[in-house]
Amino acid sequence: MSEKELLIGQSVRRLDAVGKVLGETAYPGDIDMEDQLWMKIRFADRVHARITAMDTSKAEAHPGVVAVFTARDVPVNEYGLGIPDQPVLCGLGSAKEGADIVRCISDQVALVVADSEAAAAEAVRLIDITYEDLPVITDPEEALKTGAPQLHPHAQGNILTHYRIRHGDMAAGWAQAEVVVEGVYRTGAQEHAYLQPEAGLGYLDEEGRVTVVVAGQWVHKDRQQVAHALGLPEEQVRIIYPAIGGAFGGREDMSVQIVLGLAAWKLRRPVKIIWSREESIIGHHKRHPMTIRAKWGATKEGRLVAAEAEVVADAGAYAYTSSKVLGNAHLMVCGAYVIPNAQVDSYAVYTNNVPNGAFRGFGGPQGAFAAEGQMNRLAEALGMDPVALRAMNVLKDGSITVVGSPLPPGVSLDRVLADGAVQSGYWERPDGQWRRQPVAQPADPARRRGIGMALGLKNIGFSFGAPEGNWATIELYGSTEIERVVVREVGADMGQGAHTAFVQMAAAAVGVPVEKVELLGHDTTYAGDSGSTSASRMTFMAGNAIKGAAELALEKWRAEERPAIATYRYNAPRTTPYDPETGRCDPNVSYGYMAQFVEVEVDVETGHVHVMRVVSAHDVGKAINPHLIEGQIEGAVIQALGYAIMEDVVTKEGRILNPTLSTYLIPTIWDIPQETKSVILEYTDPRGPWGARGMAEMPFIPLAPAIVAAVHDATGVWFDRIPLTPERVVVRLREQGLGVI
Amino acid sequence: MSLWTHYHTPATVDEALTLLAGYQGRARVIAGGTDLLLDIRHGHTPRPDALVDITRISGIATLRQDGDVMALGAGVTHAQIVAEPVLSARATCLVESCGVVGGPQVRNVGTIGGNVAHALPAGDGTTSLVALDAEADVVLDGVRQWLPLRALFVGPGQSRLDQTRDLLVGFRFRLCGPREGSAFKRIMRPQGVALPILGCAAWVRLDESGARYDDLRICIGPVSKVPSRAEAVEETLRGTTVGAEAVERAVSVARETLRPRTSKFRATAEYRQEMVEVLLRRVLPLAAERARTGEAIPEGVGME
Ligand SMILES: Cc1cc2nc3c(=O)[nH]c(=O)nc-3n(C[C@H](O)[C@H](O)[C@H](O)COP(=O)(O)OP(=O)(O)OC[C@H]3O[C@@H](n4cnc5c(N)ncnc54)[C@H](O)[C@@H]3O)c2cc1C
Repeated sequence: MSEKELLIGQSVRRLDAVGKVLGETAYPGDIDMEDQLWMKIRFADRVHARITAMDTSKAEAHPGVVAVFTARDVPVNEYGLGIPDQPVLCGLGSAKEGADIVRCISDQVALVVADSEAAAAEAVRLIDITYEDLPVITDPEEALKTGAPQLHPHAQGNILTHYRIRHGDMAAGWAQAEVVVEGVYRTGAQEHAYLQPEAGLGYLDEEGRVTVVVAGQWVHKDRQQVAHALGLPEEQVRIIYPAIGGAFGGREDMSVQIVLGLAAWKLRRPVKIIWSREESIIGHHKRHPMTIRAKWGATKEGRLVAAEAEVVADAGAYAYTSSKVLGNAHLMVCGAYVIPNAQVDSYAVYTNNVPNGAFRGFGGPQGAFAAEGQMNRLAEALGMDPVALRAMNVLKDGSITVVGSPLPPGVSLDRVLADGAVQSGYWERPDGQWRRQPVAQPADPARRRGIGMALGLKNIGFSFGAPEGNWATIELYGSTEIERVVVREVGADMGQGAHTAFVQMAAAAVGVPVEKVELLGHDTTYAGDSGSTSASRMTFMAGNAIKGAAELALEKWRAEERPAIATYRYNAPRTTPYDPETGRCDPNVSYGYMAQFVEVEVDVETGHVHVMRVVSAHDVGKAINPHLIEGQIEGAVIQALGYAIMEDVVTKEGRILNPTLSTYLIPTIWDIPQETKSVILEYTDPRGPWGARGMAEMPFIPLAPAIVAAVHDATGVWFDRIPLTPERVVVRLREQGLGVI
Repeated sequence: MSLWTHYHTPATVDEALTLLAGYQGRARVIAGGTDLLLDIRHGHTPRPDALVDITRISGIATLRQDGDVMALGAGVTHAQIVAEPVLSARATCLVESCGVVGGPQVRNVGTIGGNVAHALPAGDGTTSLVALDAEADVVLDGVRQWLPLRALFVGPGQSRLDQTRDLLVGFRFRLCGPREGSAFKRIMRPQGVALPILGCAAWVRLDESGARYDDLRICIGPVSKVPSRAEAVEETLRGTTVGAEAVERAVSVARETLRPRTSKFRATAEYRQEMVEVLLRRVLPLAAERARTGEAIPEGVGME
């Protein structure tokens, strides 16, 4: 076999493994410069209020303080990934209309820069701010009512986005429905809880560019947003990512980028900031809580004939990526099934909560919670096996989805479902009929075991008409043979191992061992726009770009060019946005398909749910690096377990009451399944590099509904709200007479 | 930003007391630091000028058995308690409670003295020491004395110790003898990062026949502002026949007399009330069974 074929599919050791294990790798907070100053941010003291006066004199007079910045110091006082609806700094004196209002506790109000962190921390408290309170609205359903306080002039009725789907003929659909199930599903907010809280360093580089060293997910988008706020051309701003300590979507929006750039640009000195865990939890967005009302109908044989849904998503105080997340939930709420008649209305609603935004799965988990919950209840109502019911209804190549178009070619849901079910060990199909194995029950009657399953699909790449693609450059050095390969590709490696995959793919594409490949990444000056590391897209998009650039470079090499350098932009097939009336569209470039099988043990007396075992089956198209895939599966399963069972952002009037990791509980080693089995399937994606699909969000998506199905199997009780905190579980179980002696 | 300026490691109790006195309220006792450093960082405790580390005081980190009496230095770690076979056999509840504190790192440095001195109404080690009727060896305002452990607690997070002046030196309690047994369980996720939603320790002595409760001590926390005994529950069981009926009586008395409270993000009062009952049903029979058989293997330690 050639070098090329050998490399793809090998678990090449991560490039960053040794440095991270030895503690040598520098994250943003580890980087210092001579002569650096320290910054502290004053966050909003109120949830919704107009600032009528601000006195910074005491802070300015505080020993060690170099400067205090407020709204009037920001040239273009606005930012936002979707729409620029958030002031960089809330306060007086900027041209941005409405910048004098704070709309949530994550709003930043003032910056203090001092020669020590302690001095900045002391001085930031000395700023006197006079607020005039405004009515606070934290419940999106209340925010939709007429007469509710209005948060933004551009959003009538507080509606940021409303999407529709009108597919088929609902009256005809309901007429065919012999069994109907209805549910109201509620999902909670979730904190990203990455290991590395926000931190960074701003300075002017040797060419005088405003440079921000920070952890993010998309260097070029960060650059654009910093440049916009500072009123500078993009070329005068540079973004560098050192090692990124996790992101999960939580670093898609700005945290410290603009304010670091601003301070460094004004003071012409390096300025550093490190957020505490509390600042991180208060200062960045969360996963959208959603309320989903769903009504589905099927024939008594189990064929789906109609689905109706309404989705209300809490956007929080600013847009962030809410419209895109909602777009995804809107699509996913009808699941991975052929449903000839469907009607969906989805709303993203402004409130005074901390903004909600991107988080692994990007609306998919909420949609799947409702869709798979409906399927599991339908299976019960029909007396059908849940795997059999799904096998009958899943989308296949050529099936028309509820938005009137087929999925891109290479749909493998039926095989992922069947392979996963068999490999889980819980299901068998001896005579073509799906049958589930019985589960062994513990001797202690308080502990009940159950098994559940769910499946799903998730888009890979930007959706709904957003331009999608990726730039890469390959440089080949040597004379008679290729001695060294430089790949320029700035896609973010947030810790998942993207850089290792880039190098592995470049080596395979050129036909050299990985040791000969050097990556130049994480810097806006190294290469063109890669797009964000999100939407499970980076292996897919960067892989296609690296492959294209390598082919061009090899052509030049063969034409004797030395060095042989080629730059290539991969342009993904075009997608289209929702039709405003019918929702018709061709939404996505590619999809990943997955199915999960879960065994739980419920303590019916205490309400504790323990996930004992998870089997997670994924069509990854082609596993470029199997160990990295297993890492993503195990990590996502644990994160989704937290989402489903434990993680509870407790708020009161828009304030987060548990902004620490001793009160916001995420899974620890004692909470995780004893076994997480990865079933890695390779059904080629015709559009993917070497046939690969993205996969990093997928293991998150079906887990919560699979757990709920397993809890139902164990107890006979359905839950329609996550997280399944012990209290919630106990209350529902007691209503059903369980756990009382 | 340093949390302190000076750090001292005295070798004797007297040396520690002298150091503390010298700082006139600006120094603070530190043992494992697992509570204290967080309290300072979060501003719950004022930033001290100096820390006086008691863990190097000679004898303060040792366990000593003297016949049926066990003496523990205040600086004994949770991990040391878990590793002591005599305690597993004859003070099982203490091993079960220290065995679930935090994670391995916290158990390796966190001390039983720190757990008691922190005075939370649900400190796990404290709950079991109360059920074992431990006494504390303390120096209060310069006077060294033995006090019943329960007499130390004043309010949530408050004890009679002034931690800028006083010292907790150690504990002693009687080990379980024939027809005696103990057990501890708590309600929380198997997390290792937070205080329990509820903990319950019970010590039981059966009468000669082995059929009746001769005496009991039950500590449940948090149900009041300080670690406290469920005296009404104990009273209803004394002299009665061991078995399911007695447990149900205990549960109904607990329902009448114990009033746990809601804490903002940990649990509601209603849930805690229910869990008091669940814990009594789990702990009482286990303690009685250990007393009857004279055998005890700690459960749940280190969450194996
Ligand atoms: C991650 C984590 C998990 C935890 N989990 C649990 C848990 O599950 N259950 C639980 O009960 N606790 C838990 N704790 C709390 C803590 O670890 C324990 O209470 C521990 O026993 C405290 O002991 P320490 O030696 O660390 O005390 P320190 O932090 O050193 O001291 C605590 C307090 O006592 C004072 N003090 C200490 N020793 C003496 C002495 N000899 N004389 C006078 N004053 C003294 C100090 O001044 C301070 O006020 C946890 C803490 C952390 C950080």
